[in-house]
Amino acid sequence: MEKIKNYLSGKFDQYEIYSSQSNSKSISFESNSLKEISSKQSQGTAIRGIKNSDLTFASTSSTKADNFIKVIEELSGYPIFAPINFPELAKKDIQVQLYSSDTYEFPNDYLIDQIKLSRDKILKLFPDALCDSGFNLIESESKLENSNGLEIVTKQSYSGFYVSVQIINNKDMLNIYDGSSSSLIINKDQITIITEKIIKYLKLGQKIVDPPKSGCSVVFTPSGLLQSIISPLLVSFNGSNIAKNLSKLTNKENNKILDEKICIYDDPSIDYSPASKNYDDEGVPSQKFDLIKNGKFISGYYDLKSSKEAKRQTTGSAGRSINSQPTPTTSNIFMEKGKDKLDNIIKSIDDGILIDSLLGAGQGNELSGDFSANISLGYRIKNGKLIGRIKNTMLSGNAFDALSKINHLSLETENIFGTINLPYLCTNNVEISS
Amino acid sequence: MEKDIKNIISDSLKINGGEYREIRIEENNSTRITYRGDSRENISINSGIGGCARVYSNGGWGFSSFNDIYQSKNKMAEAISLSKLNSSKSIDFQKNSVGKVLLPARSIKNPKNISLNEKINILEHYKDLIVNKKNINGCEISYGDLERKVIFSDTLGNEIEQSFIHVILRISANSTDGNEMLQSGFSIGSLGDFNIVENLDKEVNECVAKAQKLINAKKIEGKESTVILDQILAGVFVHEAFGHLSEADNVYENERLKKILKLGTKFGNKDLNITDGAKIPDLRGSYEYDDEGTPSTKTPLIRDGELVGRLHSKETASKMNEKNTGNARAISYSYPPIVRMTNTIIENSTNNIKDILKDTKDGLYVKNWYGGMTQHEMFTFSSAETYKIENGEIKETFRPVKLTGNLFNTLKNIDGIADDLMINQGGGCGKGGQMPLPVSNGSPHIRINNCLVSSG
Repeated sequence: MEKIKNYLSGKFDQYEIYSSQSNSKSISFESNSLKEISSKQSQGTAIRGIKNSDLTFASTSSTKADNFIKVIEELSGYPIFAPINFPELAKKDIQVQLYSSDTYEFPNDYLIDQIKLSRDKILKLFPDALCDSGFNLIESESKLENSNGLEIVTKQSYSGFYVSVQIINNKDMLNIYDGSSSSLIINKDQITIITEKIIKYLKLGQKIVDPPKSGCSVVFTPSGLLQSIISPLLVSFNGSNIAKNLSKLTNKENNKILDEKICIYDDPSIDYSPASKNYDDEGVPSQKFDLIKNGKFISGYYDLKSSKEAKRQTTGSAGRSINSQPTPTTSNIFMEKGKDKLDNIIKSIDDGILIDSLLGAGQGNELSGDFSANISLGYRIKNGKLIGRIKNTMLSGNAFDALSKINHLSLETENIFGTINLPYLCTNNVEISS
Repeated sequence: MEKDIKNIISDSLKINGGEYREIRIEENNSTRITYRGDSRENISINSGIGGCARVYSNGGWGFSSFNDIYQSKNKMAEAISLSKLNSSKSIDFQKNSVGKVLLPARSIKNPKNISLNEKINILEHYKDLIVNKKNINGCEISYGDLERKVIFSDTLGNEIEQSFIHVILRISANSTDGNEMLQSGFSIGSLGDFNIVENLDKEVNECVAKAQKLINAKKIEGKESTVILDQILAGVFVHEAFGHLSEADNVYENERLKKILKLGTKFGNKDLNITDGAKIPDLRGSYEYDDEGTPSTKTPLIRDGELVGRLHSKETASKMNEKNTGNARAISYSYPPIVRMTNTIIENSTNNIKDILKDTKDGLYVKNWYGGMTQHEMFTFSSAETYKIENGEIKETFRPVKLTGNLFNTLKNIDGIADDLMINQGGGCGKGGQMPLPVSNGSPHIRINNCLVSSG
């Protein structure tokens, strides 16, 4: 590493070295039985050097300094314009908790037993079900240093648990998936919540009913809301898209863009959430900031380069993997809850749909906020009650239109994948076709 | 180094334990260049080495991957101990004796022999053809080449060394009227041939014109419609609508699905024939041996509308007592091989596309692709171009659409297959976190009745 550092300091005005190593293990059950236990070890180093606003990036998973220097030398002939300065270390008074030494140490037998408990609960009620489920544990350490004296070492732990259940009846294949993640081990109580939620939806999904007509009220579960609307919406908040004029939100700060009930913020300071961070991956301190407040656009999420290009402040949102340059990345996303109880929202609907999962969302023109997908898990609401599952039905619309006027936001919120917190949301501004 | 690797492999395989052991060591070299908006966003050259050990015991697998190849022996020991945690009944794998094989990469014009400068000049030129045009607010260009050398060895005595060179390029133009953001693009790829990246001015200019035209295009209303798919989108369709369910790892431990997907079951009309095969030469999904060392094949999946075959790995073939088709593939040493498609095609029929079109009163002509997904019997795929068909003629442009279907109905609803098969190599497939795996898809033009379509 010293050799690389010496080379970089001679070659560039400023430089940065990012290295990381990680160990992971996973336990996978397939069709109700243990199928594979795997372990992975990986490491890598990435550098960025800047001379006169010309930036060179290079990465490697090899430890041979000479080869790496040769590659950097070649790439430095084709730099990218980036008038940025690598930051000095800004002290933070409160440190967010990202690591627990226990997480990676949980024994395989314990994890296998937890998976079996969840599986057996499901099989007791649905003997024909096939469960694919598993645990994934990661322990990683990264080091970021730059020529301005910054040096940050981050240790992180991660555990993820998932269950995917399939039940086939003649030519109908019902599939329900749920899971969560944390820097702490996903515990028994969390697994129970995930398992019981799956059981609830499996019960509801046994009966297939006809879908309603377009124009009906649509209630999104937090998971359905994320897949259909929030994901394409966040593409427009990406600072890189804003800077390159590829977002509808370029220069639209303080404009009312959504229903005033909608407040969305990014909060990297949640202890033991896998998306939390003290500093972003360029060494800028991360803190909570608003994306939308009462329907008004407040800020996109930026790293150093996109904030410079868009003439905005960085929000400390740089994320990176070893083989790619930092890009703007969200941390924990929260949408503020509303006033209505979910039960009351459903009771108030004469004819509508509850959408929990979509197939093919995110494979269209996301820059405009458009979405379109097959409703892979949705339930018909009739006279205030959930009456069964709908099939072969499509949802389409535009994230901005769908959220321009909403009927209800629920009091209840749910955490999705351990990093995103959303309420249930009801709108009429989407199209249903079947 | 070369000798080191050979020794590492043979030493690691000597460690006893489990019923079957294999080791894979890989060296990769890749170049990636991307443009976004009106400038170059990224250029990187990455080289890496790594490996993995995989062991079968008690009806399941232990797997261990690593960057530090000098740790191979320890990692093999770890994979052995992990495999012992399984507690199901083991099956005997079908025997496979290939012996020692060394296969160099297919190379027509090796991207390694093209200087970085030349690659950048070509891409910079395409960027200049796109930016600063009316209503165009930028481009997205993504070029990549990858050289991958894989050395595989197992306890059945097989030692196989294979190399591959992949080239891929996606170019798109972004347009806007100040409010809406639209995009038109295309993807191409090849096995070992940089020529495909050159001389694309016509395609790039067309792409700009299409992006501009999209601004005034209307969105369609969601409904069931008759659709004619061009060869590229029909290739994506066959991959999503049928290909994934023909992967035997969905079926081999699923009794109900086994009944539904029993060989001999009718899924389509008389002229529907679907084939997958890495043995089809010189495409991005082509290879001689899969990542378990099994020789590749060309596998008929549907003949005259009937299900006649499926894609297998060592484990699924042995368990279902069918012939191993050599479809176990891993995207890199970090992952175990799983059952994947290779080159998947709908075979030509005898109709002329002009006649199919003339015979269509009211429908949509859908071309090119954005993506596609499958979840068991349900699938979606999206077009990049959509046109109205009225009384047998192609009329106005619509915004891109998403199409969805169901395995049991949609294949039967194909009522016209043309004779103009074309293969697209610009795609990649994702499964089990392993993406993008090089595959190719192909088809002639096809017509599908009652396909559910919506805008977006």
